Amino acid sequence: MTGVLVLVGTLVLATVAGLVMRSRNGRVRTTAATVATVATSDLPADITSVLAPGGVTLVQLSTTFCAPCRHTRVLLSDLASRTDGLHHTELDLTERPELAKELAVLRTPTTLAVDRSGTEILRVGGVPRRDELLAALQPHLT
Amino acid sequence: MSAGPSRVDPRGPRFAAWVTTAVLAVVLVTGWWPLLAAQAVVFAIGAFAGFGVAPYSILYRTFVAPRLGPTDEREDTAPLRFAQGVGFGFAVVGVLGYATGLTALGTVATAFALAAAFLNAAFAFCLGCETYLLIRRFTPTKERALR
Repeated sequence: MTGVLVLVGTLVLATVAGLVMRSRNGRVRTTAATVATVATSDLPADITSVLAPGGVTLVQLSTTFCAPCRHTRVLLSDLASRTDGLHHTELDLTERPELAKELAVLRTPTTLAVDRSGTEILRVGGVPRRDELLAALQPHLT
Repeated sequence: MSAGPSRVDPRGPRFAAWVTTAVLAVVLVTGWWPLLAAQAVVFAIGAFAGFGVAPYSILYRTFVAPRLGPTDEREDTAPLRFAQGVGFGFAVVGVLGYATGLTALGTVATAFALAAAFLNAAFAFCLGCETYLLIRRFTPTKERALR
């Protein structure tokens, strides 16, 4: 009897979790901390060192064991090649969990959009939604 | 870790996740641990021998794929095999729990594996893959101590 209850409970919880994750997946997030940050960069050097000299850089954080990272790579590199002032670079966090901790990244892919001053504009968890991402980046380009 | 194809039809793992969900549901309801042990072996084959010989993959290729028609879509197997390894871990803990009379432990471990399999089947969300980073974040001290 306990087993049946656990089974039903697990399926209900998993369904709720799945629906929540589906709705949040690929959504652009601008955190309060990000908005409050002034021009000075507080991102670790591992990130600021890979930024393109001008415009906005999409820093994609990936791991080896990550299928959606591949889809994200294809989407972002295409977006960057078609958009003036937008660049795409990828960092592998597989061997660097401490960097994930520093950036408060819980899952891959997570994409950070960083402007030329090294300030994080927004971040996206999961495969980004192309139009939504582009719209959010537009004010920061040029 | 090199046997089996490096890329597979993505519908295969979804089918396997549904079969896994069904098997784990039966284990939860009946508490019959030999079935969980069999599922642990299936996980182990997927994780360590690859999808070329994984039982549910063979089922898919033999009975399901011919009815669905071909697809050009392919998915990397490295994340999937990692997730099978995570499933194997939970299944082993579950078997130990049930077999030693710690039924609560067996139930909880099976429920976790079921939740992961169900999320994969119903939402195409690979919990084992996505939480890889999380697992790494919370286990670095042990690895550093070993170095």
